Amino acid sequence: MLYLQILLNGLLLGGLYALIAVGFSLVWGVLNVINILHGTFIVLGSYIAYFAHLYFGIHPFASVIISGSVLFCLGYVIQAGIINRVVAAPVLMTLTLTFGLDLLLNNAMLIAFTADYRKLILTDSLGSYDLWGLILPLNRVAGVGLAALLTFGLYRLLRDSNIGRAIVAVRMDREAATLMGVRVNRINAVTFALGALMAGAAGSIFSIIYPISPINSGLFLGKAFVICILGGLGSVPGAMIGGIALGVIESYGALFFGPEHSTTLAFVILIALLIFRPTGIMGRKGYE
Amino acid sequence: MSENIAQLEIKALTSGYGEIQVLWGIDVGISAGETVCIIGSNGVGKSTLLRTISGIVKLTGGSITLDGVSLNNATPEDVLSAGIVHVPEGRRLFSAMSVRDNLLMGAYLRKDKSAIQDDLEYVYHMFPILAERRRQDAGTLSGGEQQMCAIGRGVMGRPRYLMIDELSLGLAPRAVDLLFEALHNINQSGVAILLVEQDVMNALEFADRAFVVDQGKIIVSGNADEVAANPLVQEAYMGVV
Ligand SMILES: Nc1ncnc2c1ncn2[C@@H]1O[C@H](COP(=O)(O)OP(=O)(O)OP(=O)(O)O)[C@@H](O)[C@H]1O
Ligand SMILES: [Mg+2]
Repeated sequence: MLYLQILLNGLLLGGLYALIAVGFSLVWGVLNVINILHGTFIVLGSYIAYFAHLYFGIHPFASVIISGSVLFCLGYVIQAGIINRVVAAPVLMTLTLTFGLDLLLNNAMLIAFTADYRKLILTDSLGSYDLWGLILPLNRVAGVGLAALLTFGLYRLLRDSNIGRAIVAVRMDREAATLMGVRVNRINAVTFALGALMAGAAGSIFSIIYPISPINSGLFLGKAFVICILGGLGSVPGAMIGGIALGVIESYGALFFGPEHSTTLAFVILIALLIFRPTGIMGRKGYE
Repeated sequence: MSENIAQLEIKALTSGYGEIQVLWGIDVGISAGETVCIIGSNGVGKSTLLRTISGIVKLTGGSITLDGVSLNNATPEDVLSAGIVHVPEGRRLFSAMSVRDNLLMGAYLRKDKSAIQDDLEYVYHMFPILAERRRQDAGTLSGGEQQMCAIGRGVMGRPRYLMIDELSLGLAPRAVDLLFEALHNINQSGVAILLVEQDVMNALEFADRAFVVDQGKIIVSGNADEVAANPLVQEAYMGVV
């Protein structure tokens, strides 16, 4: 029963991890930009949820709409105004650029909100449900449900909409996409904005689970990294598989080695994978 | 050609890549509904010419006009909206996308949803094998089928001028026949065709007029049968001694 409970916890964690990684993976896969800002975007989403709850009593699941929209706009402006100027440069260049932007944004948040951890306490927590001895923390279950919905939404968008097809087309062949009349710079901006939207939404959902502080951004970024390497780059199903794999691994890792080592374990796996299977578990570059 | 005939007119066109100049003054005109082929050895600038017309490569001199309207500073999007579609060398399909999605990408700028569906059916009718493979990734198609998909994708843009770079390269004769027949039908529906082709015999047989490019310039031009009879062309491109 314990093992089953751990598996369940791992799956729940993994559903949230998938949401962390999916936007990061999209941006990396389509733009060839490793977005160091991603972790800070997530934290910003959490703060939006925190203040929306504190001042207006908006439930974090509802403020997903606010944090998603704000981050979408912020992401669009950053890509269209700044990153597009160097987007064709080698990946190290754009990595350095987003690293610099991350320093700015993260430090601005440190000044504005301090590094102190804040906790969003729900007044009407759903509590937990006992399912034949398995404990289901209902807030978390609902959060994972919402995360799955958002992830699925992105998946459908990429597959079934005009703009989604254009994003995939740009990922596969920029010049051919240009010949179809796709404005690549605009698609870059929309893609980056979608990545930021997913980060913001993840931040909102996370605000009911984790304490909020700008110093968490590195942790989130690290997880997104590991998940992309686990699941392969630039595909929604890849991010889901990678996310769930990491969630389960961390949960069992915490059981066997102690919770303080679960993050270390994740990075050990990352390094092992990079050495032995650099294309990810799926082994194929997906695209959706 | 008189001024009021609808046509794509290229005059004294120069272009290239940064420091490297490739085109040294090209003059080509194509009237609405016409078929024209461009032949020439490897590396003389045929693809560069098409890329300059479609706005991927910026011209450095001369002019491109469509029905008298300048396309000198047009973006690829503008060129496409004006009715000029470029099927690139090497087909350049979106390989991990389905055949159907590739075709739909050809209609990316169009908003007329029901007409897009009709055109999809038109392409499936033209190339029934694509209808069978519509859900399959384009990367899994054979070379000939990929070229059909590329041409179908071009047709989905509702061209008035369809430019095709290397129709037959690396394809089996049967597939080539099929593709030329399809091009003929597309042309019959009123679309002008500008074909860049290695297979000089087939190209000259297909086209009304022909241009021979060498070192970034047009060295021979005229009706296709005249060009075919030109001793220079026979010797250099048709293997006649
Ligand atoms: N992106 C590029 N950057 C620099 N030079 C280029 C580029 N593309 C082509 N060239 C050069 O321009 C010249 C003309 O190339 P182009 O592709 O237009 O020739 P082509 O006539 O289409 O040849 P082929 O029959 O081999 O397709 C070549 O010398 C080529 O090396
Ligand atoms: Mg060429």
